[in-house]
Amino acid sequence: MDFSILISNFWSLGLDGLVVGAIYALISLGYTLVYGVLRLINFAHSEIFMIGTMAVYLVVLQFGFTGYEDPLPLIKFIGIFLLFATVAGIVSGGSAVLLEIVAYRRLRNMGASRLSSLISAIGASFFLVEVFRKISDSKNLDFPRLINKDPFFTAGTLYLSADKVLVLVGATIIFLILNRIINHTKLGMGIRAVSQDERTAILMGVNVNRIISYTFLLGGVLAGVGSAFYMVFYETTKANVGFLVGISAFTAAVLGGIGNVRGALVGSFALGLIQQYTSAVLGYNWRDVVTFVILVLVLLIKPTGLFGEALQKARV
Amino acid sequence: MSKKLLEINDILVNFGGVTALNKVNLHVNEGEIAALIGPNGAGKTTVFNIITGYYTPTSGGVVVDGESILGLRPYQIARKGLGRTFQNIRLFGDMTAAENVATAADSLNKSGLVGSLFGSTRSRRDEAASMEKAHELLHFIGLDHRAFQMAKNLPYGDQRRLEIARALALNPKVLLLDEPAAGFNPQEKVELGDLIRKIRDRGFAVLLIEHDMSLVMDISDRVSVLDFGQKIAEGTPAEIQKNQRVIDAYLGVAEDAS
Amino acid sequence: MALMKASSLNLRDKFGDWWDGANPAQRTIFRIVLIGIFYALPMLNNPIIDTPETSFSSVLFYPLVMFSLMAVGLNVVVGKSGILDLGYVAFFAIGAYTHAVMSIHTPLNFWEILPFAMGFAMLAGLILGLPALRLRGDYLAIITLGFGEIVRIVAVNTEAIGGSAGLTDIPGPDSIFGVEFTVMDPRPYYWLTLTLLLVVIWGVMRLSQRKPGRAWEAIREDEDVAEFMGVATLKYKLWAFIIGGAVGGLAGAIYASQIRSIQPELFTLNLSIMILACVVFGGMGNIWGVILGAVILGYAPEKLRFLSDYRIIFFGLLMVVMMNIRPNGLLPRKKREHFQEKNK
Repeated sequence: MDFSILISNFWSLGLDGLVVGAIYALISLGYTLVYGVLRLINFAHSEIFMIGTMAVYLVVLQFGFTGYEDPLPLIKFIGIFLLFATVAGIVSGGSAVLLEIVAYRRLRNMGASRLSSLISAIGASFFLVEVFRKISDSKNLDFPRLINKDPFFTAGTLYLSADKVLVLVGATIIFLILNRIINHTKLGMGIRAVSQDERTAILMGVNVNRIISYTFLLGGVLAGVGSAFYMVFYETTKANVGFLVGISAFTAAVLGGIGNVRGALVGSFALGLIQQYTSAVLGYNWRDVVTFVILVLVLLIKPTGLFGEALQKARV
Repeated sequence: MSKKLLEINDILVNFGGVTALNKVNLHVNEGEIAALIGPNGAGKTTVFNIITGYYTPTSGGVVVDGESILGLRPYQIARKGLGRTFQNIRLFGDMTAAENVATAADSLNKSGLVGSLFGSTRSRRDEAASMEKAHELLHFIGLDHRAFQMAKNLPYGDQRRLEIARALALNPKVLLLDEPAAGFNPQEKVELGDLIRKIRDRGFAVLLIEHDMSLVMDISDRVSVLDFGQKIAEGTPAEIQKNQRVIDAYLGVAEDAS
Repeated sequence: MALMKASSLNLRDKFGDWWDGANPAQRTIFRIVLIGIFYALPMLNNPIIDTPETSFSSVLFYPLVMFSLMAVGLNVVVGKSGILDLGYVAFFAIGAYTHAVMSIHTPLNFWEILPFAMGFAMLAGLILGLPALRLRGDYLAIITLGFGEIVRIVAVNTEAIGGSAGLTDIPGPDSIFGVEFTVMDPRPYYWLTLTLLLVVIWGVMRLSQRKPGRAWEAIREDEDVAEFMGVATLKYKLWAFIIGGAVGGLAGAIYASQIRSIQPELFTLNLSIMILACVVFGGMGNIWGVILGAVILGYAPEKLRFLSDYRIIFFGLLMVVMMNIRPNGLLPRKKREHFQEKNK
């Protein structure tokens, strides 16, 4: 265990933790929103994210970048970014809605057991990963460097670079928009109503099926936008990228309290920081083990997470 | 003085800001049929959930035959002598009627997996005892002919009775029935009343949650009334029917009581 | 596909009718003949059943009988008790690594190591189960998934047990009853596994027909109500886990002793999913169903090679389709509503 790296890079690790946390947040919101309305973990949400990364890759591919040219001027970059982020959002959102219809809706109407829904979700998840593995020929898909990542501001060991700022600022904007949607629109009200009490919501005239579809759409779009940030920051993707990122995002949602939007945000940033700091000490290999341990600990000690409701509400 | 088989003492239950039960006191005496009534949402099923250990009360205690059961897990409480049925039927659908009852009967013995695997004498004896008890109870309740049918395939009335047989397999000191007459026609309700009396005569005390006033008044020895989580009256059926507070609480339901 | 399902139901009923009518002698003869056929399978040399790339005998061993064994083990957990375990490969890996490590570093032979392989897997089941089984469905599933991955990650990162390169030159079992276990011939391994599979089937059936079986089913049907009826749910769930683990560990040890070299990437999530697919497809909770599922899902990709490349895609799609159309699998648990109780 080496603490020297941790200490000397404390601030830059912290910054990275926030950046990674922001990306996780966009994905974990999908988990938490769907859980809120369905009381179900959308196991295949990680593949929704993966599909987003694929969409981003394909869009950028069209521009013919080789990756060896100079980084783009900021304006041009932002233009292209908005393009592929939007495409990814649409693609992921659409995939999520499709997923709900194919893998979940019929089971929901049949009153199937949770086990069945879970198995269906797992099947869908595996199906998607393998399809894309075939399409991508099991290769890592590398993304060209479009933005200048040289730090433009340093303070001690803290290096602020454009991509990190992009993620943090962009994600914050998204969160503000999301807050608007959840708290000030009819859709948001519908989502909150169904999350709290589905039966009463139905009695109040809420079309639950539509709300559920919209929730999946919303979660998917967020994951798609998250995938855009992911690609800019990590510059690579592969068919099973969703697995580890998904586990982290899911853990973040549970840590914050699944079903709770604020919790997903806090949990994501917290997890991002924890991952960076423990990686510095234990080595990068153990990052996912640490994440998993956190998941187990939260579920055992405080299943409601930091802000959340009881996971296992009694329904006797 | 009749022995108190079940006592609920000063139970206070707070769920997040809502007081579901407010210092409720109830008891069931040996050999009696006690009823718990009250408008919807009064907290009656919550009482059952507290008694059977599903929820822990914020304060207060539950005593079964002189022994406090607070803090015990539901399966331990079941073994101490409390069997219950459910408002919405909750049978083990993909198991036969006999298996449903036998599962409860199994709880009375201590046989474990190793014994079952190697066919120890004790496990073979316990197995026979469970099956025998299951068939005996099915016979008692009038469901012999359904013994090998899937619980989910049984007609509604038989399902309700099967739930009762299953609860009885625990040899309960007190049988807790949660709206056993729901969905029954008047004839079936009369038969149910007879069945409950038959159960009482066999030595089980009964605590009954029920909305059907004629059934309650007909078979109960004692009635307690809950409203908004508080006990507002307790007494014989005759006394309760005349109690103004009770009538007010129901506001109109009192018409059914005749 | 739909036709196959419909006819399997009728065949099953017809067979069930015959079985109920048969006397003990007839049943014993049937059993002996059937078992005999399975033992004789490796001797078959028929182009119709032969598999293109690997020998039929080899396929019989892996995946057919190996998957069957693991499916029976997983069935106790998922099918009978309703606990979704997505990390079953962990037990398989623990069994395999136990044999590999102990046979290389200790003077013990395969037969002596076998109890350890099963023991460690059971211990892992206990350690995982004690915290995890208190959680409900979805969360339990994720935890088991994580556990499966952690075992693999630990294997990759631990140089002492080979790291990512794994372990090689693992000895096979010493000869028993005059049967030699060589690298070339998969048949003795097949017979060994088949024998153990029969023992496991016997054990699981005994448990299923008695109190443990009822407890597991009650837990699967309605865990809360099972508790209200006096079932010590945590204890039985743990036992299901431990038994599943023991079977997985057993399979793993045999596998390692046959394949003679193992690496962490043999023990991936994909394998857990494949075994789960066998259980789901074949018939949750039904021993014969899951074996049928294992045989079909193991054999098809070997026979139809084009399917093999798309194996996982097919399995994933299969799971979604099965849940929507026939959630109880090919041979559902449906019990014969006759006087079966008397015919045990």
